[in-house]
Amino acid sequence: MKAAHYKSVVAGVGLALVLTGCGQGSGGSASGGDSGGESGGPTIAFVPKLQGIPYFEAMNAGGQAACEELGCTWLYQGPVEADAAAQADIVRSFIQQGVDVLFVAPNDPDSMAPLLQEAEDAGIKVGTTDTDAPDSVREVFVNQATAEGIGQALTDQIVDAMGGTGRYAIVSCGETAENLNSWIDVQREYTASQYPDVTLTDVVYAGEDQAAATQMATDLLNADPTLTGLVGECTSAAPGVAQAVQDAGRVGQVFTVGLGTPRSMADYLANGSSSASVLWNVQNLGYLTAWAGLQLSDDAGFEASNDVSSDLSGVEYDDSSKTLLLGPPLVITTENVGDFDY
Amino acid sequence: MSAPTTATPPGGVGEVVHDAPARGRILPRPVTGQEVVLVVVIAALWLVLGLATPAFFTSGSIIPLLVSMSPIALIGVGMTIVIITGGIDVSVGSIVMVSAVVTAQALVDHGLSLPVAVLLSVLVGGVLGLVNGVLIAYGRVQAIIITFGTLNLFKFVGLQFFGSSTVEGIPATFAFFGRGEAGRTLGIPHSFLIMLVVATAAWFYLRHTAGGRHFYAIGGDAVAARLAGVAVRRRSLIAYVLTGLLSGLAACFVIAQGTTSLAASVGSGTELAVIAAVVIGGTSITGGRGSVLGTVLGALLVQTVTTGVTQLGWQSQLSDLFVGLFIVVAVGADLVRQRSRRTS
Repeated sequence: MKAAHYKSVVAGVGLALVLTGCGQGSGGSASGGDSGGESGGPTIAFVPKLQGIPYFEAMNAGGQAACEELGCTWLYQGPVEADAAAQADIVRSFIQQGVDVLFVAPNDPDSMAPLLQEAEDAGIKVGTTDTDAPDSVREVFVNQATAEGIGQALTDQIVDAMGGTGRYAIVSCGETAENLNSWIDVQREYTASQYPDVTLTDVVYAGEDQAAATQMATDLLNADPTLTGLVGECTSAAPGVAQAVQDAGRVGQVFTVGLGTPRSMADYLANGSSSASVLWNVQNLGYLTAWAGLQLSDDAGFEASNDVSSDLSGVEYDDSSKTLLLGPPLVITTENVGDFDY
Repeated sequence: MSAPTTATPPGGVGEVVHDAPARGRILPRPVTGQEVVLVVVIAALWLVLGLATPAFFTSGSIIPLLVSMSPIALIGVGMTIVIITGGIDVSVGSIVMVSAVVTAQALVDHGLSLPVAVLLSVLVGGVLGLVNGVLIAYGRVQAIIITFGTLNLFKFVGLQFFGSSTVEGIPATFAFFGRGEAGRTLGIPHSFLIMLVVATAAWFYLRHTAGGRHFYAIGGDAVAARLAGVAVRRRSLIAYVLTGLLSGLAACFVIAQGTTSLAASVGSGTELAVIAAVVIGGTSITGGRGSVLGTVLGALLVQTVTTGVTQLGWQSQLSDLFVGLFIVVAVGADLVRQRSRRTS
């Protein structure tokens, strides 16, 4: 009986250890830590808006691959929710650890600025990627695409699918998401100036909820039977608008494009409810971020055009805004959707 | 033995339960004033929408509306019972998330049939509801604290299943509950029909059985109810387990309404939508009073507003404004009723 009691205590301690381990996992470093630890070189830390979504996991994979090839240590840790305060805590902990380079995709650029200053004061090179903090001390912003690039590509794709004429509407996500709104502004102007036969009728906001995006797209289709195009402005709305067209049985009459990750769009591209997805190569964005970190750490600076890898040649750098541009957006169709694993 | 008089609003002229003693318990009216008001408001809104956008009354518009409100109303049935007992369950969003991710993953990996998948989802929901129920009924901790804790715990569990990714390529097994062609029989969407059957059964049970009335007694005064012989703990437990089971079923509807991929944001915010429907439906947030019928109408009203705002081409944020106003008005009406009863 005593032995049994002893066993249960051991089991209990073991369980507690397991639970503690899990807790730490939830806190952050999904795949960070010492993965590239032995390769030496500078330590580059990247704090995404949130971890656990395919988008940032793909960026992480790209950064990791870059560090393995180029010789650096890649750390990756983000908050469980896209929360500015939780993100700030993680940034602080990286400052404490004394990493060499710190990259952030800030949830709130304004509140991130003083922290980046703090990091610089501690001798850390700082940069932003994916989302900029323009009024900060960051030394470089790794930009995935310009607002013009995304907005025009989305417009070109939807107009092309609609056959050059008709009316289309947009289902967006957060009403305050600055990057989405800047793309929508471009779409408005570009549609009006380039495609006089096409009208952008309506913009609705569904939050990050797929079911809500699908329902709102359904409502838009019902409210305006002459609508022949729908744009899903973010990764949850892009499959949502396609699903709505499919549910309404109007594939081939109503066309959709969106900003969707390849795997989530594959089924819809195949059945024709989505004509194209506009994105950028997320893994390459991670790769470019790690490469930019190495340049910063070596004080090597950037050329006007940089050859980063075989995949990434001629990456433009704009000295006035200190911005590296990944390149033109990527258009994903049935042709190339199988090339991506995120 | 005193009857749970706290549960009966004043002026109830309703029929007398058959086996009740002559001086018997009086049931509240089958339809409350608030419910009549809701029906009128919804009818008026539908009329206005029908005139403003001719497409509103087409089946292509009404069917998605009914499908869309069904999961909220379904969870609302359980939530109504929980709130009637004086409790609350803010973990339902996380229960939906866990049920949805477990079921979606099983559909992708094992290609479950429809009944098996539904059973799995309902069971997962039921187990999580049982955790809530046991902690609240036997741990004697406030329901909002416990379920706020399990909201986060369940979310953690769900995130482990997602494993930093999304579930992709979900087969169309649940199209039976969806808004597409496969989701209806004779034009009536299955998800709405199922919700209606569950709500009707709950309405009858709460109103016409002694067991049902016990939930009201607990919410009115738990101590008095216990002294009167009501199995307070068991009833509370049942309320939370039922809410869990219904959240599990609702998760199937949610998968059906989404796309072929499932992201970790699934279910987030559901608890607020459900509680809004319950409160707008006239259930007193302090317990002791309420009805399932009101909750179903509340869910219908909220979805009508959201759909209406989109179809009229208004700004999306206006639907938040309207739902907020409805909640304030509904709670205000509840307070006025309580005060007038106390002074009368």
